Amino acid sequence: MEKATVVVIGGGATGLGILRDLSMRGVKALLVEKNDLVNGASSRYHGLLHSGGRYAVKDQEAARECIIENQIMRKIGKSCVEPCGGMFTRLDIDDPAYEELWVKGCSDSGIEATPITLDEAFRLEPRLSRKHVKSAYLVPDAAVDGFRMAWQLIDSSKRYGGQFKTYTEVIGFDSVNGELRGVKVRDQFTGEEYEIACDIAVNAAGGWAGFVGKLAGVEIGVQPDKGTLIAFNQRIVNHVVNRLHKSSDGDIFVPHGSITILGTSSMSVPNPEDTSTSRAEVESLLKIGEETFEDLRDFRILRTFAGSRPLYIPPGGAVGRSASRGFAIVDHEQDGLKGFFTIVGGKFTTYRLMAEKMCNQICAKLGNNTPCRTADEPLVEEVSQEDKDRAKKFFPSYGVNLAATRLGVDRFKKVVERLESEPESRELICECENVTRAEVEEICKDDTSFIVNDVRRRTRIGMGTCQGNFCALRAAAIFADMGVESTAKDSLTRMREFLQGRWKGIRPVLLGRTLRETEMTRSIYELSMNIKGGAPQ
Amino acid sequence: MKTYDVIVIGGGLAGFMAAAVAASRGQKVAVLTYGSGSLPLASGAIDFLNAKAPDAAIKNLPAHHPYKKIASKNIDAAAKFFCDITSQGNLPYVGRLSAQIPIVTAVGTLKYSCLVPESMDASNLADKKKIFVVEIAGLKDFYGAMLVDNLKKYFPDKTFEVTKIDLKLLGGRDITCMDAAQILTDKEQPLANELKALNATADDAIIIPPILGVMGSFSRDVVKTQLKAEIIETTCLPPSPPGLRLQRAFIKYLQKAGVRILENSKVIRGVVEGKKLTGVVVENVVREKVFPARKVILATGGFYSGGIVMRDFDNPREPIFDLPVFFPTGAENWSNQNLFDDKPQGFSMTGILTDANLNPIDENGKVLYENLHVVGANLGGCDKIFERSMGGIAIASAYKGAIL
Repeated sequence: MEKATVVVIGGGATGLGILRDLSMRGVKALLVEKNDLVNGASSRYHGLLHSGGRYAVKDQEAARECIIENQIMRKIGKSCVEPCGGMFTRLDIDDPAYEELWVKGCSDSGIEATPITLDEAFRLEPRLSRKHVKSAYLVPDAAVDGFRMAWQLIDSSKRYGGQFKTYTEVIGFDSVNGELRGVKVRDQFTGEEYEIACDIAVNAAGGWAGFVGKLAGVEIGVQPDKGTLIAFNQRIVNHVVNRLHKSSDGDIFVPHGSITILGTSSMSVPNPEDTSTSRAEVESLLKIGEETFEDLRDFRILRTFAGSRPLYIPPGGAVGRSASRGFAIVDHEQDGLKGFFTIVGGKFTTYRLMAEKMCNQICAKLGNNTPCRTADEPLVEEVSQEDKDRAKKFFPSYGVNLAATRLGVDRFKKVVERLESEPESRELICECENVTRAEVEEICKDDTSFIVNDVRRRTRIGMGTCQGNFCALRAAAIFADMGVESTAKDSLTRMREFLQGRWKGIRPVLLGRTLRETEMTRSIYELSMNIKGGAPQ
Repeated sequence: MKTYDVIVIGGGLAGFMAAAVAASRGQKVAVLTYGSGSLPLASGAIDFLNAKAPDAAIKNLPAHHPYKKIASKNIDAAAKFFCDITSQGNLPYVGRLSAQIPIVTAVGTLKYSCLVPESMDASNLADKKKIFVVEIAGLKDFYGAMLVDNLKKYFPDKTFEVTKIDLKLLGGRDITCMDAAQILTDKEQPLANELKALNATADDAIIIPPILGVMGSFSRDVVKTQLKAEIIETTCLPPSPPGLRLQRAFIKYLQKAGVRILENSKVIRGVVEGKKLTGVVVENVVREKVFPARKVILATGGFYSGGIVMRDFDNPREPIFDLPVFFPTGAENWSNQNLFDDKPQGFSMTGILTDANLNPIDENGKVLYENLHVVGANLGGCDKIFERSMGGIAIASAYKGAIL
């Protein structure tokens, strides 16, 4: 039987943070995730590294945690963070009294909020509404790439012996006399069921924590709270731009590379699997968004997406916007299952702190008193300038850094070596995101690559301007050669699934130039490729 | 300034076809284009309808369908005229409206069309013994293994062989089918030599990506005469050489017929006199310019080409004449849950409605401009991608629009 000291359930930021922390403390840990990594709220979010300003009035403890973790993340995850800075802007329709509370809240929480003149605000953010914006402050917000952070957490964990299995779903727990003995899992592709023996299991399943708790017979107060976001195909803002008012829907813009993400809404949903979005939600976000940026509708919307915050609801607690963004750790020994823990709530910005607190508790149980080092050691080593220079011959220069940080030192070296020695591997599979065949093939070999979407999350193929029009065919062809046997599907199914996944986020925003892209997709795959394969009847 | 008999707005398949038909009838024609036209993005094959016998199936379409307004005799005449133009351009097309011809796609499925370039006709594949699939070193978007996997499903008993040949195309950047076709134009011999070395017999077929030049069937003829086996081109990801060949064949015809093609001419509105247009206005760097015309043909395409635009939900617009645009209202009717579905997509049915003369009409069926005819993907009321009628409607409506 497979064995680990600790089984971590859930491959989001929290679970990965725990895996890394435990591994660094020398605890044998294995993470299981029923889907691909960061498939829940850890990638379906703004990608905002909070300064804490958002919580400065309502929840100063959260605000303080944010600003501390914000500084740590910039240090340990340098290449995942875009230090663009943040701006809070109050509009004429917002309550001026809140501004005073907010300024005091920031100062009390240790967040540097610098007032700037409107002229300065419009110089820094030329698209801000001159009509509505009445005051502005700069704060140390930043953008953070949840995908890249996840792969770096995995690479860091691996270095310390951490193990993980994706597409492995927990289906039950094995206990004797109220003491946990193991976790029963199912391989999502083969259907094989087996048990992993362990002393401790941590439920870090985010929005799914309630379901996992149920399998162990314990109640967990978690309310999936769906947030919908819009990705624009342009960099509309230079900073993270927040509305200076009581936190509400659609009031944060975050720039990421060449795109901007606007969000979010807040809606309690029964099932965290519900990542559906609608035209009505998009309309409502746009309406709010254009209060701050009047020409918002002139920008092309790339897609919309949604994820569920795993809000922790203590017995009798509030839900939705009023629910705490704090987190909770539950030792289920109190519920009669020794060795089972749940960590729930919180937010991406504080995932490391959450992991640290969780691991402190686990290590105390295990009698391991190695201190936590996750705040001190960078997630990954930096790719050398020499390797980057070598890569410049084959990438446009801005693509070099992106590829270097998403691949990491070893894989980047291998990819560059292939690019040098095999000219055919230089072929761009994704022109929008500058992804070469060498990189796609390297990632295909990885132990998290089962379907084309897994490679998409790693490499960014299909995530750019054309949303998969060209790379769907190319990626399916590469998979036909390299795909994992247990998930063998014919190439047409792979292409269809991949494009259907893109379609899910396009459909609610099907207007403007996105209509043009969609007609191109259909004309290529239905007319030129007959992807449905049928003959005239 | 001289008055044109016909001004065609749009340089895609419909626009060029309309201009060619009008010119062939002795009229003075100008084509105003903006952008490169969508032909090089298309497969090169002309689909009429997803039916075993499209001509018969067209007769059973509902009355509001564009084909019904065009009428069958015009559809037949359009197909004939199209084949005349292409054969004059040394780009022979084969097929008829009563049957479908299979062509091999880049992913290895078969696609069916009524009119296909001779170089893509895969009708005889079923009779072949062995099928060679030839990859070109350094050429992207053509993957032999995947193609064979899928093509085998149609021909399980045949022998397939994937070979890669090196034409020394690889330079500093990616090579697409279009690049290869351009490089090989007038320099076909290395390709012919490599293909000869396959020793394929008269019972075999050689499947290659569409790289046989960009000038009609010239490169294909050079290669074909040196081979015993039949050589068949597939479709490809855009840009597509067969689409470019077709565009060039039309341009050649239009030039010969004295048609003026004015590029980079963005028409911004019409000059209206009562229920007629007397010309169109083109945006210019320094000032606007009026082109007087007795008749105007609108062939600016649908959402893809910008002939219809939509900034806000439930508000599609035709940007030149501000014609009423038909569209399915509400999020539920706008699109289907599945991208590749077994029913039409609402958004794709968006377009301009016309009477039998292809004159644009308002919601009460009243004609807006008597001498404006709407053709091609501008026409609403059917999902031309779903029903595989894009090419057929383009050339047939253009034909009718031009002879009226």
